[in-house]
Amino acid sequence: MADLQKENLLLEVLKNHFNDKIFDLKVQRHQRVHLRTTTEQIEAVLLYLKEKLGYKHLSHISCVDWIEENRFELVYILWHPEDKINVLVKVDVDRLNPVAPNIDYIWPQANTYEREMREMFGIQFPGLVGRKELILEDWDDLPPMRRDFDTLQYVMENFEFRSGREDAQNVRETIAKRTGEEIPEFAKKYSR
Amino acid sequence: MNRAFNDRESQKILDIIKNFARKNSLFILAYGTGCGAIEIPPTITSRYDAERFGIRGAATPRQADVLLITGYLSVKTLKRVIRAYEQMQDPKYVMGFGSCTINGGMYWDSYNTIKQLDKYIPVDVYINGCMPRPEAVIAGFVKLQQLIQQGKALGWKHYKENLEWYRQNQQKVIKNWRMPDYNW
Ligand code: SF4
Repeated sequence: MADLQKENLLLEVLKNHFNDKIFDLKVQRHQRVHLRTTTEQIEAVLLYLKEKLGYKHLSHISCVDWIEENRFELVYILWHPEDKINVLVKVDVDRLNPVAPNIDYIWPQANTYEREMREMFGIQFPGLVGRKELILEDWDDLPPMRRDFDTLQYVMENFEFRSGREDAQNVRETIAKRTGEEIPEFAKKYSR
Repeated sequence: MNRAFNDRESQKILDIIKNFARKNSLFILAYGTGCGAIEIPPTITSRYDAERFGIRGAATPRQADVLLITGYLSVKTLKRVIRAYEQMQDPKYVMGFGSCTINGGMYWDSYNTIKQLDKYIPVDVYINGCMPRPEAVIAGFVKLQQLIQQGKALGWKHYKENLEWYRQNQQKVIKNWRMPDYNW
C-alpha cells in the first residue's frame, strides 16, 4: 500500500492552523482523513479547506440520526482532485433544536443537500433559499428519515393491504434467528 | 378467433368488429415508475418484438390505449398517474406490473408508496413477478387482448360508474387535492 505521506501532511497543516478548534483528527485509511468540529467553526474549516488547501469538490453532505445520544451528525465529504484525498468533516447538531449553518455560498450544490436534510430530518439552515418541498409532497407528519418516525405505524394507518401476506416474516428477525445473532435493544425499537 | 363468434349473445356485431380492431392495435403509454421500466425496452424492441401483437408506444396520454404502471407508485407519482389516466380517451386499459402494484411488494412498509393500485385506478390485467420478464409481459398483453375481444376489459366504465369510491380512496392518500375536473 501507498504510504500515508500526503495524508499526514494534511493532518499537520490542519493541526497547526486550527489547534483545539478541531478534534478527533486522524487518518482513517489511504486517501481518507477524518476530523470533527463544532457548528461555530464549520464554515471556517470548510472555507480553509476549499480556498487554501484546494479541496474544491463537495461530494456530499449526509446526516446520521444518533437518537440514543440525542444528536444529528452532519458529515461533509470533500475531495481534492489532485492529491486524491477525501476529507470527512463531522459536526454534531442538537436533536431537539437542530440548527446548522447554511453553506451554500461556499458550494452552490450544498443547497440541494440542505433542502433534503431540512425535509427528511427537519434540520433548519438559517438563510436557506428554496421551496420547502424537495421530494415529498404535502407531508404533514414527522420528517420521515428520523428514527423516531414509526414507518410501520404510519403505513398501517394510511394504507390497506390485500389479504394474503399475513404470514410475512420480519426479515431482520429471521436472519438473526438463523445466525444466532442477538438484535440490540435500540435496533428492535427503531429499525426493521 | 372462434371465440368472437361464440360470444355473439353478449356483444352486438359492431362491438365484435370494434373490439377486433382495438385489440390488434394497442398503443401503450409506459409510465416508467419503479424498477419495472427496464423491462419495457426489451419487450418492444427486436428481441421480443411486441409489435407483432400490434403493441407499440404512444407519445402522450391522449393518443394511448393502455397505461402501463411498471412498479411501485409513490403518492406523489400517483397524482400524476391519475391525471394521465383521466386524460386518456375511451376505451382505455390499465396494466399493473409486478408485486408492488398488487400488494406493495417489497416496499410494503414504505411510508411513501401505495399498496394496491386497483384502489385508485381500475386495473384490467395484473402481471405478477418482481420483475416480470418480457415473456410474462407479452403473456399479459395476450390476456388483455382476450379480455378486449370478449368485451370484458371494462375498467374505464367501472371507473366512471364508481368515481365516488375511487375519488374517496385517492383523496385519502393525496392530502392536498388540487386536481382538475373533467366532464366526461
Ligand atoms: S415488483 Fe419488484 S421489480 Fe417491480 S417495482 Fe416492485 S420491487 Fe421493483
